Amino acid sequence: MADLDTDFTSGDAGASLTFPMQCSGLRKNGFVVLKGRPCKIVEMSTSKTGKHGHAKVHLVGIDIFTGKKNEDICPSTHNMDVPNIKRLDYQLVGITDGYLSLLKDNGDLREDLKLPEGDLGKEIESKFESGDEFLVSVLAAMGEECPIAIKPMSS
Amino acid sequence: MMAAVGAPEVISQLESAAKVLMAPPSMVSTEQRQHAEHIFLSFRKSKSPFAVCKHILETSKVDYVLFQAATAIMEAVVREWILLEKNSIESLRTFLLTYVLQRPNLQKYVREQILLAVAVIVKRGSLDKSIDCKSIFHEVSQLISSGNPTVQTLACSILTALLSEFSSSTKTSNIGLSMEFHGSCKRIFQEDDLRQIFMLTMEVLQEFSRRENLNAQMSCVFQRYLALANQVLSWNFLPPNLGRHYIAMFEATQNVMLKPTESWRETLLDHRVMDLFFTVHRKIREDSDMAQDSLQCLAQLASMHGPIFPDESAQVTYLAHLVEGLLNMINGIEIEDSEAVGISNIISNLISTFPRSVLTALPNELFASFINCLTLLTCSFGRSAALEEVLDKDDMVYMEAYDKLLESWLTLVQEDEHFPRGCFVQPAVQVFNSYIQCHLAAPDGTRNLTANGVASHEEEEINELQEDDRELFSDQLASIGMLGRIAADHCIPLLTGLLEDRVTRLHGQLQRHQQHLMASADPGTVDRKVLDDLYEDIHWLILVSGYLLADDPQGETPLIPSEVMEYSIKHSTEVDINTTLQLLGSPGEKATSIPGCNRTDSVIRLLSAVLRTSEVESRATRASLTELLSPQMGKDIVWFLRRWAKTYLLVDEKLYGQISIPLSTAFGADTEGAQWIVGYLLEKVINNLSVWSSEPELANDTVELLVTLVEKRERANIVVQCENWWNLAKQFASRSPPLHMLSSTVQRTLMKALVLGGFAHMDSDTKQQYWAEVLHPLQQRFLNLINQENFAQICQEEAVKQEIVATLEALCGIAEATQIDNVASLFSFLMDFLSSCIGLMEVYRNSPETVNLIIEVFVEVAHKQICYLGETKSMKLYEVCLTLLQVYSKNNLGRKRLDVAAEEDQYQDLLLIMELLTNLLSKEFIDFSDTDEVFRGQEQSSGAGRAVSAADVVLYGVNIVLPLMSQDLLKFPSLCNQYYKLITFICEIFPEKIPQLPEELFKSLMCSLELGMTSMSSEISQLCLEALSPLAEQCAKTQEKDTPLFIATRHFLKLVFDMLVLQKHNTEMTVAAGEALYTLVCLHQAEYSELVETLLSNQRDAVIYQRLADAFNSLTASSTPPTMDRKQKVAFLKSLEEFVANVGGLLCVK
Repeated sequence: MADLDTDFTSGDAGASLTFPMQCSGLRKNGFVVLKGRPCKIVEMSTSKTGKHGHAKVHLVGIDIFTGKKNEDICPSTHNMDVPNIKRLDYQLVGITDGYLSLLKDNGDLREDLKLPEGDLGKEIESKFESGDEFLVSVLAAMGEECPIAIKPMSS
Repeated sequence: MMAAVGAPEVISQLESAAKVLMAPPSMVSTEQRQHAEHIFLSFRKSKSPFAVCKHILETSKVDYVLFQAATAIMEAVVREWILLEKNSIESLRTFLLTYVLQRPNLQKYVREQILLAVAVIVKRGSLDKSIDCKSIFHEVSQLISSGNPTVQTLACSILTALLSEFSSSTKTSNIGLSMEFHGSCKRIFQEDDLRQIFMLTMEVLQEFSRRENLNAQMSCVFQRYLALANQVLSWNFLPPNLGRHYIAMFEATQNVMLKPTESWRETLLDHRVMDLFFTVHRKIREDSDMAQDSLQCLAQLASMHGPIFPDESAQVTYLAHLVEGLLNMINGIEIEDSEAVGISNIISNLISTFPRSVLTALPNELFASFINCLTLLTCSFGRSAALEEVLDKDDMVYMEAYDKLLESWLTLVQEDEHFPRGCFVQPAVQVFNSYIQCHLAAPDGTRNLTANGVASHEEEEINELQEDDRELFSDQLASIGMLGRIAADHCIPLLTGLLEDRVTRLHGQLQRHQQHLMASADPGTVDRKVLDDLYEDIHWLILVSGYLLADDPQGETPLIPSEVMEYSIKHSTEVDINTTLQLLGSPGEKATSIPGCNRTDSVIRLLSAVLRTSEVESRATRASLTELLSPQMGKDIVWFLRRWAKTYLLVDEKLYGQISIPLSTAFGADTEGAQWIVGYLLEKVINNLSVWSSEPELANDTVELLVTLVEKRERANIVVQCENWWNLAKQFASRSPPLHMLSSTVQRTLMKALVLGGFAHMDSDTKQQYWAEVLHPLQQRFLNLINQENFAQICQEEAVKQEIVATLEALCGIAEATQIDNVASLFSFLMDFLSSCIGLMEVYRNSPETVNLIIEVFVEVAHKQICYLGETKSMKLYEVCLTLLQVYSKNNLGRKRLDVAAEEDQYQDLLLIMELLTNLLSKEFIDFSDTDEVFRGQEQSSGAGRAVSAADVVLYGVNIVLPLMSQDLLKFPSLCNQYYKLITFICEIFPEKIPQLPEELFKSLMCSLELGMTSMSSEISQLCLEALSPLAEQCAKTQEKDTPLFIATRHFLKLVFDMLVLQKHNTEMTVAAGEALYTLVCLHQAEYSELVETLLSNQRDAVIYQRLADAFNSLTASSTPPTMDRKQKVAFLKSLEEFVANVGGLLCVK
């Protein structure tokens, strides 16, 4: 897990984990906190009870880290939390004891992220072992961080 | 194969194959099934299977085998017709008929198939004079007179089979003969045999209608003959001497209006025919299935027109008899549910078929009774339709019937100058009243009341996809609005009174709630029933008022309806203008509390009733009662105000012959009234946008009202004088609450409105200041943000992204506001952004929705502006678009999409790129700029020669798009349409670039064209055909043979040739296909001759051969040798039309 202190030193001081937004202002493919988890909105629809009722928003989101589906329905006037999402690309320079060694832009090394389980982890391992040079995309939100994709080095 | 084995072996083989086919799927394998199917197929193809088939029919007990034997006979007779002895055909037919007659217990599908074979033999023989097939009618009439229901049913089946075969419709069997044959058969049949069938049918109906009691079996026979009569009356008559090419199309069999040929005059103008159907209906009307047929027969009779009537007086006599019969039928009965639609069809058919002059020539009394009956029927169906809604029935028969009748009213009153003056006023009052009554709550109305007066009130969940009532019921509302205008004297004051009353009650109700809330502070305890009833009443009253007072024509300036104008003028002498203005200007007061309120203009008073509703709503929001309000009512109010403003605000006297003084005084140009109301509407808009940001549809309707206020220069001039407008602009520019909470579409439209407003009349200082308020902050914020040192680090933060997205949305809105007189300044403003946007493509390459939005900005700019841009400006736009494409392409390399089960919106970027390319190309078609005139004064001297051309950009784009477009993607309609639009444009505009494409791209382009031509919708097929001519012309120009393009066009020649000559094609496509064919023929004359030769050599019939050869000769006669000359091309197209008419039906086979 990311250490909050390092966050502060890396220039994000004061950036909150989430910010509020009126429910009606959310949109598909955007992000929202559902059941306490940061989610990407995959479905969003409105409805009302009776012809003269007020709009309600039905949200379906996918947890950006676990892929789990969450749903919620709330009046469109309500404020929802929107997570601050960051996505950073690091070059992979090593794998030690199941931890990734990642090169930051400023040349520093970070070694606090685990090699993910599943297919992505296997792909990272095999590509690294065959000597490929590539970037690992890391997603960060609400104090959690996780590698989510690999990309070829842009020349 | 069959010849080799004896009949018993064949039977046992077929029977075991039938067993396999009939077995449940789990019992047999696919191979077994295919094998069994193959056995039947080859059996049906065997040579002269007649003896075997007869044997099968006589001995086999397996129904399916019997069915196949009948099919085999039918196919073989057609196949071997010319080889067969005429009398053996005759005896075969007799055998089949006797066979069926002797076996009353045959399975229905077997019997029908055998009769079908009989019908096909009769039809095939009907053009062969040597065979006498007429005897069949004699036989059938004997069967009918037998009195035996089973035999009579059989007779009916025979006639039905004949009818289907000869109708030359989709029901007709495929017998491998030319369309011309089918058409000739049909024409001969309809003149004689069809009428004979009709007469036989009438006799049966007559006979049955005389009987006192019908048992179940007889009534069943009755029903079949009634259906047969309906089939005859729905016959799509071929006109006796119209061009042959009509034959080349199979006709529809539904919704055919009855247009018999002259030879039917004696039969159908005989009153006894019509009388019989009325009698029949009276007899069977309680049987809902049969009643549908008998009413449909009458509806067909009510649609009768054409040469059957010798003159107008015959039409009048016929119609009078029809109307009398109808009135006799309806009066004094209680209409069954199952009769409603049928009766409304009769009325709607007769009103739309018979000319006004015939309607007005009816005896006065009869016409009056008819209108009276129509009125009562309409009101009654309306009430029943309302009941259906309460009961939430699946099958809304009364609603359908009511819609039909209201539509008929519209037809009638739209041409009311033909009728006696005022004859529709009373009916209009009644229909209008009943509509209002059905839509109001008790006690004034009957909404949600069941038949026994019990109120039902259910709250259902309504999703966003459900249409608003104003769209869902737009046809009904348009009719009711029109009737309201006809009876304006009654209807306008009625609406006003009801609305004022509801608004007063709503006001009171909200006040009570407020007191209650202050006491208990729990909004959950509020009973919304009373409020919801009021909202629903107001909802309908506003919708009807909107449709009554104004039309909503797309595009053109709507006029005040003449009836409304006349009504206002008629009463203007009794009206006190000052009181009227006072009433208008005080929406916060009760209308009736204003002294002299009864001497005000009623049209203005109806508007002010809506303004009063609006005022109650606004005050409630200020009192924090928003939660109690109805967003639906909010939508209704702004919808009405928008519709009203388009028509009445700043009414232009020049457009009217006469004008009402109250209307011109209150809303004319340079009046205080107009200024006041603009201010009021603006305030309403601003209030709504801050209160209702959470209701997307309401916010959208609101911002559309704002656009209406500024899109016309005259209105905008007043708007920009309002302080509120400036406040709105500042508030939006500061991107702070509440406006930034609006949905992105609303924000985009708001930006558009603000830009449109900026082109109103202002002095130059003010104007400068305005842009400084509206546009500059946008630029400033954007530049500040992207130029921040740490932008690279913060750019992915949600708040930053939102700021970027808001800017991009605003840019789209600005582009949308482009008009010819503002394009100069808007283009320069937007250009500054476009290069920065390309930078953002890099930054947000991982965020598809942002990338899409960036491309969308380019799409909008190209869409709205390129047609006005001169050469230099266009080039700038091309350059920046090229850069965009390069970045897009680079970022797309190696990008993987989830192809499996991909959704259309995954490919939004591809669609947008194609749209962008198409928009850039559209300049070649629509170009309003002959010079950079609109940019005069700010143009630097342009560089010599074009740096980047449209062709460069578009071809570069095509290099990106083509490899990405797969066949799977073409299954998405939007992608498919956009793709073909694009490639057709390219072929038309830059044919010289096509041969230069890399080989792979060239191939896939050609494949796309072929695919589009042969297996897509007719629209796309047409696009592809249009692309062929320029390609062929290109080949002709370069005169190089054996280039890939030259070879490809040769292939297309064959495709187009087959399409035009051999296949049933959409006649709309003849022109596009003809043009393509001609240029291709010019290019490949030898190959064309070869195609013709091959086709001719396949003809065995000497007569047909000659006709075809002649037709081909005259097709190219006027253009020999064919050259790419416009005149010759036109001549060819003309000959082609004749060619298709002449031999098209000969080559197209069914």
